Amino acid sequence: MSAPVPPGREAFVLPFIFLTVAGAGGLRLSGEGGAMSFAPPPLITLVLAMLLVGVMVRAGLLVPARLVGDHRTGLENLGGCVVLLTLFAASAQLFTCLTPDAGMLRLVFNLFFLFLLWNTLAAQPDRARLLRSLLVVFGWAYVVRYVALAALADPQSSWMRRLIGVLMEGAGSASVPGEPTAPLAGYVAFATVALYMIGLVLLPAPPPAAAVALVATRAPDLLE
Amino acid sequence: MKPGLVRIAGLVGTALYAAFIVWVYARQPRTVSQLTGGMAASVGAYKVDPANFQEGLRFFRNDQFVESRAAFERADPARQDPLTQFYIAYSFYRQGWGRLYKDQVLYRQGLEAADRAIARAPSGRLSVPDGTLGMHTADELRAELQRGLEHGVADLNPMKVLEARK
Repeated sequence: MSAPVPPGREAFVLPFIFLTVAGAGGLRLSGEGGAMSFAPPPLITLVLAMLLVGVMVRAGLLVPARLVGDHRTGLENLGGCVVLLTLFAASAQLFTCLTPDAGMLRLVFNLFFLFLLWNTLAAQPDRARLLRSLLVVFGWAYVVRYVALAALADPQSSWMRRLIGVLMEGAGSASVPGEPTAPLAGYVAFATVALYMIGLVLLPAPPPAAAVALVATRAPDLLE
Repeated sequence: MKPGLVRIAGLVGTALYAAFIVWVYARQPRTVSQLTGGMAASVGAYKVDPANFQEGLRFFRNDQFVESRAAFERADPARQDPLTQFYIAYSFYRQGWGRLYKDQVLYRQGLEAADRAIARAPSGRLSVPDGTLGMHTADELRAELQRGLEHGVADLNPMKVLEARK
């Protein structure tokens, strides 16, 4: 029998982390004047979030039975449902945060996420590997969206324009459009991604028996 | 502390926080002062700065519209006060009004301010008993601004030149 999830973590820490990510994920800061706006999640991010939650369940990163079930009281189940709902909202808004707002790049980013998640689902990683994989995926998306594309849109950042121009040489005459963002937007997005990853780490781990069963199914050679 | 109490407190706190986030997404504040002012207004704690408001009114009556708007913006930085937004809309109307043409950009900004005034007014009705004005309700002002933005055959009527600024 696994140790129960501390009530403080389940009732306060996890919902507050995921709600903060859900709120900050849609925050947009205009490059001119830094005016705020809040973008609700596009429909595709709901699909991606559903897929991501599915991947988490498959990998044992999210164990719904630790949050909701017959063995828990009504109040505990309600708290567990809140964690699941806020996790879903945070996942959807994290994709909103890391995806450009419009244009061809938005489609490219969404396809990138879709194929990577599908691939991860097929690979059936364990909890630790999935965490590392998500860190790499979100980290790269962050770098492309908030470092490379922002630099392309910045007329003073000529070295990045030249670098991407060299990389794109021979790939056609079409230039990659940048996306202007306020400098503060990158910091907010970084904190949002970091907070989301912390939230994932704090999710209740599967009980040892279930973990052994999971490893026995996915990687039996490790048990030998 | 009992785990049950912790869970109930967590649920209440989460519900309040979620409601705040939904409110922010629905209201779409553009600046931090609009965010804080909107929150204060929602609990009835928002106050307009009377000194800046009076200064804005004085500029407005002297036909110094740019100056009046600057003072009104200082008086109501969160854009939550319907009366101040009404005067801002009126200043756009008067500045944009011309016998032969209406300034479309100013009229459009005036329409936005009039919409804000109506949205913030109780039940959407705002009446301003100011003897120096030609229009005393936000609805009249909004309709006048709307008319100024529309184009049609009536624009060719030469008698329109005789219309007075309200």
